[in-house]
Amino acid sequence: MIELRDLRKTYTPKGSATVRALDGVSLRIERGELLAIVGASGSGKSTLLNVLGLLDLPTSGGVLYDGRDVTGLSPREQARLRNEKIGFVFQAFHLLPRSTARENVELPLLYSERRSIDSLAERALEIVGLADRAGHRPSELSGGQQQRVAIARALVNEPDLVLADEPTGNLDSRTAGEILELFAKLNAAGRTIVVVTHDAGVAKACGRTVRIEDGRIASDGRA
Amino acid sequence: MRTGRLVLAAFASLRRFKLRSAAMVVGSFVGVAALTLVVSVGGGVERKVLSTVRQIFGERSVLVVAGGSNLLTGPRAGAARLTLEDLEAVAREVPQVEAWDAQQILPAAPIRRAGPSTTGEGGPSATARVVGQTERSPRVWSRTASGGAFFDAAAVSSSARVVVIGETVARELFGSEDPVDSEILVGPVSFRVVGVLERFGTDVHGMDRDDEVVVPLTTAMRRLLNVDTIAGAKLLVRSSARTEAVGREVARVLRERHGLPPGRPDDFMLITDVQVRKMVGNVQRVLFLFLPLAAGVSLLAGGAISAALMLSSVSARVSEIGIRRAVGARPEDIRLQFLLESASAALTGAVAGVAVGAALAELAARRMQLGSVLSVRAVLLGLLASLAVGLAAGVLPARRAAALPPAEALAARG
Ligand SMILES: Nc1ncnc2c1ncn2[C@@H]1O[C@H](COP(=O)(O)OP(=O)(O)OP(=O)(O)O)[C@@H](O)[C@H]1O
Ligand SMILES: [Mg+2]
Repeated sequence: MIELRDLRKTYTPKGSATVRALDGVSLRIERGELLAIVGASGSGKSTLLNVLGLLDLPTSGGVLYDGRDVTGLSPREQARLRNEKIGFVFQAFHLLPRSTARENVELPLLYSERRSIDSLAERALEIVGLADRAGHRPSELSGGQQQRVAIARALVNEPDLVLADEPTGNLDSRTAGEILELFAKLNAAGRTIVVVTHDAGVAKACGRTVRIEDGRIASDGRA
Repeated sequence: MRTGRLVLAAFASLRRFKLRSAAMVVGSFVGVAALTLVVSVGGGVERKVLSTVRQIFGERSVLVVAGGSNLLTGPRAGAARLTLEDLEAVAREVPQVEAWDAQQILPAAPIRRAGPSTTGEGGPSATARVVGQTERSPRVWSRTASGGAFFDAAAVSSSARVVVIGETVARELFGSEDPVDSEILVGPVSFRVVGVLERFGTDVHGMDRDDEVVVPLTTAMRRLLNVDTIAGAKLLVRSSARTEAVGREVARVLRERHGLPPGRPDDFMLITDVQVRKMVGNVQRVLFLFLPLAAGVSLLAGGAISAALMLSSVSARVSEIGIRRAVGARPEDIRLQFLLESASAALTGAVAGVAVGAALAELAARRMQLGSVLSVRAVLLGLLASLAVGLAAGVLPARRAAALPPAEALAARG
């Protein structure tokens, strides 16, 4: 379904040496996989996930969706691809603080080509178990609840792929377990999920674990 | 569908940032209100000045004013002698002079209605300017009597005690009664009212020109002022192209009669349309350079407030832009959102500013008796300027933020 070909990404911050955040990563991700990306801090996990989700472009290399390289698409086409095919979950939740849970979940629908968006947000909130908090703002929700709102937002437009960057990094272990269960449930329902994590428990629950070291794949193992 | 949702979302976003939206609205409001007020009132003042100048002066006129004197406020101490004979000589020796009228003025005199009681006490009274003029005044000053009739040449040569009164005086003394043929007292002297002056209104100096009475020049000189000089005169010239040349001729005649040797300055003053145009030009410079400049400064100040707010709004919302881009907003969707937000805030303020500025302008105009002054040009200018500021301040940075890779926008603080 997704193929990464020899991805390279370099940063050259002002006045410092060039950093090779990705240094030749090639990877195939099959439909329906639940994949964990692990590695030390600074090893390039977030960079990989961003490039995979078209939030950032590689310096070189290809990102193929169903055999088609998408790195050359216009920003407009990339936006549409993110909107329809990909849902993101971030460590810092990244909710709009002044908007309610429902408004946050509706955000991807705003930019979709759908005719009607009625009740889709409510359905997504139901899936994550927060139907009764639709009118709350992020500040009125716990960390775990905020992350579940973010997951509902990632799901609402029914994407094939969910990309999560340390989704449990800001949560205690019990809440992290709940989020993990949610991912397992979504994966069982057929979604492809890629999770960047520091948490060994999270990695163990995934069917496949890719370890990154210094911008390269150090190991790739299936459980 | 999609666009409709985005438009609604932009307005929802304005509501969410109430304080900042309100401040942006106020910023544009202040500037536009000031601009509307200043440009509208300025235009009204200009029209008033021009129409008054035309009323008093006209194209073919030369004004002669006795040295140190002022046509409307009467002789000052030490004023040089300018006499009726001087003007008669000018009219004789300068063939280009088609008609002329001389004036003498008593700036303020108590005026009473002569009551039926023999004591003369108790009738309504007023204070008005008394102007002595010749029977040619209606023609030369283009102001005649609207009720009754202006006095004739016989009245002037016989120093008759007849008077044509202004509307304000008529109202104060007679209310709604017809004053013609009534008796009034100007100071201690009794006059018969023969007419009511055409309405004039307020002149450039803010003087109510209906608050005056006109008596024959000779009557004013002998019976009221006891002088044998005049304050000034207005000459009508046959051709408007010749006023400068006529002015020189008039000066020559007067200098000769006053025995002024070469090198000694004139002891009278001549005003031709060249001077008047210069004066009007000065007025216009004030109205159309300095006032709009002041308004422009306030517009800029308001604009700067809006711009600063929009800029801080965008930079505080880079991560919001990142989130929206991550979930599928195209760069142009972000641009549209900020365009709508800043334009609607700016326009809301501008519309309110136009309304308040216009109301203030009308209020000021009423006090200055300018008539209706609202300037469409000012309104359009204000709306466009505030819109431009709103767009420049909001959309350009938003555009830059929208062009960032979403990963970078998401990493931003805020
Ligand atoms: N915008 C950037 N500018 C410069 N260097 C960057 C930038 N983003 C990432 N890097 C560098 O690239 C390398 C990989 O960063 P990345 O964020 O992918 O690491 P990570 O594996 O996600 O780490 P962590 O576990 O701490 O989140 C790091 O050395 C980092 O300093
Ligand atoms: Mg990271």
